[in-house]
Amino acid sequence: MTTFAKSLRWLHVNLFAKPFDTGLTLIVLPLLAWVLWGFLDWAIMLADWSVVLSSIKVLMTGLFPVEKLWLVWIALCLIAGLTGLASSTTMPFGRNALLAALALVALSLIAAAWFDTISAQTALVVASFFAVWAAGSRSETLRANLTGIAFGVLITVLLVLSPAGPSTWGGLLLSIVLTLTAALLTIPLGVLLAFGRQSRIASLRALCTGYIEVMRSVPLILVVYCIWVAFPLVAPQFPLPDVVRGLIGFTLFYSAYAAEFIRSGLQSVAKGQTEAAESLGLSDMDTKRIVILPQALRVAVPGLVGNILDIFNYAPLVFIIGLTDFLRAGQMILANPENSGRTYEIYVFLFLVYFAVGSVITFQARRLERKLAQGARK
Amino acid sequence: MTESQGQAIVRIKDLNKFYGSFHVLKDVDLEVARGEVLVVVGASGSGKSTLIRCVNGLEEYQSGNLEVDGFRMPRAEEREFGEVKGLRDIRRGVGMVFQQFNLFPHLSVLHNVTLGPIRVRGKSRDEAEAQAMQLLDRVGLRDQALKYPGALSGGQQQRVAIARSLAMEPHLMLFDEPTSALDPEMVGEVLDVMRELAREGMTMMIVTHEMGFAREVSDRVIYVDQGRITETSKPDAFFDNPQNERTRAFLSRVLKH
Repeated sequence: MTTFAKSLRWLHVNLFAKPFDTGLTLIVLPLLAWVLWGFLDWAIMLADWSVVLSSIKVLMTGLFPVEKLWLVWIALCLIAGLTGLASSTTMPFGRNALLAALALVALSLIAAAWFDTISAQTALVVASFFAVWAAGSRSETLRANLTGIAFGVLITVLLVLSPAGPSTWGGLLLSIVLTLTAALLTIPLGVLLAFGRQSRIASLRALCTGYIEVMRSVPLILVVYCIWVAFPLVAPQFPLPDVVRGLIGFTLFYSAYAAEFIRSGLQSVAKGQTEAAESLGLSDMDTKRIVILPQALRVAVPGLVGNILDIFNYAPLVFIIGLTDFLRAGQMILANPENSGRTYEIYVFLFLVYFAVGSVITFQARRLERKLAQGARK
Repeated sequence: MTESQGQAIVRIKDLNKFYGSFHVLKDVDLEVARGEVLVVVGASGSGKSTLIRCVNGLEEYQSGNLEVDGFRMPRAEEREFGEVKGLRDIRRGVGMVFQQFNLFPHLSVLHNVTLGPIRVRGKSRDEAEAQAMQLLDRVGLRDQALKYPGALSGGQQQRVAIARSLAMEPHLMLFDEPTSALDPEMVGEVLDVMRELAREGMTMMIVTHEMGFAREVSDRVIYVDQGRITETSKPDAFFDNPQNERTRAFLSRVLKH
């Protein structure tokens, strides 16, 4: 079949198979075209994107001191490397990836030269993503220790950023740090809570059940606010910065949800698995850690990823305790009278960035699910 | 090969078990000698699976006595406080093969077989893998070692399950309807492995519906009816000349087709 015939056939099957399909296509396609045309027309002809460029530092890092911005670049390289390592566990680095790497590095260098603001550092971040991706694809040891490395990277990132003072963290940087920390902490806490909820010891069971149910029945914003207010009252000798209190609030709140996803995973593991492990003489601990938990997590992954997305998307709520996350940074820029009339540009930019980060998370998660499903049927 | 008292590996005396108010096992008395192959038959729901599950503590019992290798298995009330001391030591010496195989689906075949020896027996990985390959060879699955259980047929999975149990070097193997979940053409390969084990002198308690196999390999057959052992005989006597009316009825039902 010629390509032309193939395309015709594709059109027929996918768009014009039946009268109803044809009708729908004739309504939807022009509508989409109209919306896209309108948007592009505005984006290219009318919009003034200089506002995004001039305020990019605030959008990305909030009030982070300019002279210490190099710390942020180091942190970004670390996070990019971690993402690269995560990628290597789900898709091995191949020739296509190498080409994409070179293209992206070249592109970011050109962009850097063009805009003159985000110089070579961007290329460095992209390069560290691909470098670790390639390294991870070759080294079994690196991939096997992903969890440990992730926690190591998290702690290093927090340490690297801390000289600037947590109260200066803001913008997209804050959203990402918040998501990364809460995502990594909620999973182990969720595991503990889920097992606690099934414990033989009634007091522990009651405690975990109570905790989960309370957290699930109150709004996130309330938990974050309560922790923020209550912490200095309960432990005045430990003056924690707002950011850390916010992190604690998010972590405490979302670990209850993580626990429920993990619990449903635990319940999906057949009883025969425990029996087989027990009859081998495995200890309770080994049975849970080696036999039950990996199978439970496999089932819990979609839920846990949804959780992480939630954390990222609800991060703007930290404005209630006076923090400036990405969305809030955008609003702050609009509050400047110089930028009045640039509302659409800023919001479109926010939208695109949120969409991009969210897509990366879901894309990785889909790969992970597919990977976990291998050799796991039955 | 029959029971001189000192040689018994399993000693069951007046054992009673309830599920709530349902009386599953009633005054069971049974001894299994070292090296003996005991086949347990009975209608479904008669309690025969429950009986062998009690032997490695997967089920608890309410009264009576159950000793394995000289260790008295804990009763229900003794297990209310969690893990019982000594139970794990007994379990590692008692292999169990399940109807549903219960392989660990997230671990490779090799890893399934080495898990117990490494984590429980404290063997090194190399040592455990060498042993596992030997066992997989023995059950005819050497070349499947790196696959995941989901990629194997039922018969192959059950043979892996047997290898997994054997890796713990048990003195007693329990088989809970090992071929009941298999397609008919795969039953033979599993029975062959079990036959081989019996020939090597492994002590075995087998719940099965494969009557031909039972007659061929067993030293003794017991019939369980509504939670009671109603007949205990040598295999030939059991199949040719059953004493009990209900045994006769059961045998005529299962041997007919």
